[in-house]
Amino acid sequence: MCGIVGLHLKDPALEPQLGALLSGMLAQVRERGPDSAGVGVYGPGGLAVRKGVGDPVALAEEFGLAGMRGHQAVGHTRMATESAITVEGSHPFSPRPGLCLVHNGSFANHATVRRALEAEGVVFDTDNDSEVAARFVAHRLDRGDDLDKALRLVCDVFDGFYTLLVTTDDEFAVVRDAVACKPAILAETPAWVAMVSEYRALVGLPGFAAARVFEPGPEEVCLWKR
Amino acid sequence: MNHTFPPSVIAEIQERAALGRYAIRGLGARRAVPSFDDLLLLTASASRYPLEGYRERCSTTTVLGARNASQPVVLDIPITIAGMSFGALSAAAKDALGRAASEVGTSTTTGDGGMTPEERSSSKTLVYQCLPSRYGFNPDDLRKADAVEIVLGQGAKPGGGGMLLGQKVGPRVAAMRTLPEGIDQRSASRHPDWTGPDDLTIKILELREATDWRIPVYVKVGATRVEHDVKLAIAAGADVVVVDGMQGGTAATQSAFIEHTGIPTLAAVRLASDAIAEVGADVQLIVSGGVRSGADVAKALALGADAVSIGVGALVALGCNDSAYTAESGERVDVTGDYRKLKVLPGDCAHCHTGACPVGIATQDPVLERRLDPDTGAERVANYLRSLAMETTMLARACGKSDVHRLEPEDLVALTVEAAAMARVPLAGTSWIPGVTG
Repeated sequence: MCGIVGLHLKDPALEPQLGALLSGMLAQVRERGPDSAGVGVYGPGGLAVRKGVGDPVALAEEFGLAGMRGHQAVGHTRMATESAITVEGSHPFSPRPGLCLVHNGSFANHATVRRALEAEGVVFDTDNDSEVAARFVAHRLDRGDDLDKALRLVCDVFDGFYTLLVTTDDEFAVVRDAVACKPAILAETPAWVAMVSEYRALVGLPGFAAARVFEPGPEEVCLWKR
Repeated sequence: MNHTFPPSVIAEIQERAALGRYAIRGLGARRAVPSFDDLLLLTASASRYPLEGYRERCSTTTVLGARNASQPVVLDIPITIAGMSFGALSAAAKDALGRAASEVGTSTTTGDGGMTPEERSSSKTLVYQCLPSRYGFNPDDLRKADAVEIVLGQGAKPGGGGMLLGQKVGPRVAAMRTLPEGIDQRSASRHPDWTGPDDLTIKILELREATDWRIPVYVKVGATRVEHDVKLAIAAGADVVVVDGMQGGTAATQSAFIEHTGIPTLAAVRLASDAIAEVGADVQLIVSGGVRSGADVAKALALGADAVSIGVGALVALGCNDSAYTAESGERVDVTGDYRKLKVLPGDCAHCHTGACPVGIATQDPVLERRLDPDTGAERVANYLRSLAMETTMLARACGKSDVHRLEPEDLVALTVEAAAMARVPLAGTSWIPGVTG
């Protein structure tokens, strides 16, 4: 019930265009998430997260997304399921410096996972199920797991349907649940890696015609590192 | 009951006046109390997605007692068979329960009368009870067990001991319990070796030493002051806490106990799971008392149980309250007349205490015993257990769970204010949890 777009640049020459490229991608998943939107841009000053309630295209303009530069960015458009439509409940969730998580789907046992994390001292900002996944990943990274391990643990611990795009300052990772019915399309060229919820969000990317386009398998962690 | 002295109450007074004693019967509470029937599951729709029954996994594996035991109990389904004694039940009935449990990959439990060799050999996983009576309790059988369950109380009679009337104290039962034949027996209500949680700690260590820290130690309580009792059981070192609600059955006890002591299973499970969560220990919770269906199992698990235990349901599957038994020839033999002699009808019999069980289950009478064919009985109980497991996974999948243990309180709502308050889930159609949200 959401749209995801993400772009991980391998070719530094594209970095000035990052915001413009992501902005174009985000507009293509506008209908998937009319309630709110947010972006996380990894630029020269580190990760900048902007979120808002309302139409994603108008929000992207408000954020000045098209003018942002950097080496990696994620965007999310939200159609709320069970939790409130607020700025705080919008994605990306960034509970740890450099970490961004965006989610399409819904978890089926997040209340139990939330209680377990709270028992270990983790504090939540919202009643959102995606925040539970974000806090879980952050908690595992804090405990010393790498991102690949943390996402494999997500598959072990969480029930429900999910496509997750999770990024750190230098990593870009996608994982889906065991049924893998929420969309996730990956495309890779020598210049970039992109992940989108709908194919049409890829076609405007430079050199897309030569890209390798594929879907991640069930519970397969696809991870790129700078 | 619609007034103070309805015909049933008049009859009870007349019975006491005639006999000069209290009434005794079997099975569990017969009064209406808030129960799992008062809860509903919020299965998936648009905001969440159900899992497909045919191809998407829903695990039922249940691990009990890994906290301290080098060999925890691993069950294929979260449904176990509760302690019922040889004495209360015939040897064939115990054998059939053991075979059924083994066939579906779960455990059965001895009872207040010791371990029979038949039961040990037919039960792949056997829980050996350590009771106040010490009937048949010995280190040799302890070391043959797969878990030991210290029984502090039982839902049907918390604070009271068991009863076995003289007609069921046959030669073999008498020998196993070192009792005189044919004499009414009342079990102790309090353990002679220890009183209180401080001494229970020592008893648990003794049982661990005797079993080389190999098998889990369960502590079973009748549901009364559940929060305190569960916390004390954990503090004393229990690996698994078994909480038996007031609907739990018995083979014989005073009806005043059955109907007027303890709290409903619905209230007990939430108190127990909250207590375990508060302590934060790796301790499993088994809940019993009136569990009949997969819906009951799913709701108990959602409220925090790791497994349930069934007694009466398993006996009914075995043939209890059936109007006929199957003879060796395969012929169905109607025994309605035998029920009538007990002044009851099939389907409404709780006369386990008499030993005159028309279908040969709750008896030590050699003639009646032959009415239960253990092969047929085992098959029926196994069918019942399989049905419960299938119903449980069906409901769990509908809630989007790949493991029945991932059902959670948020999957439930209550039909009544009472059930909402006890289970601490919202009244259906509202966000109101009485006592929690106002």
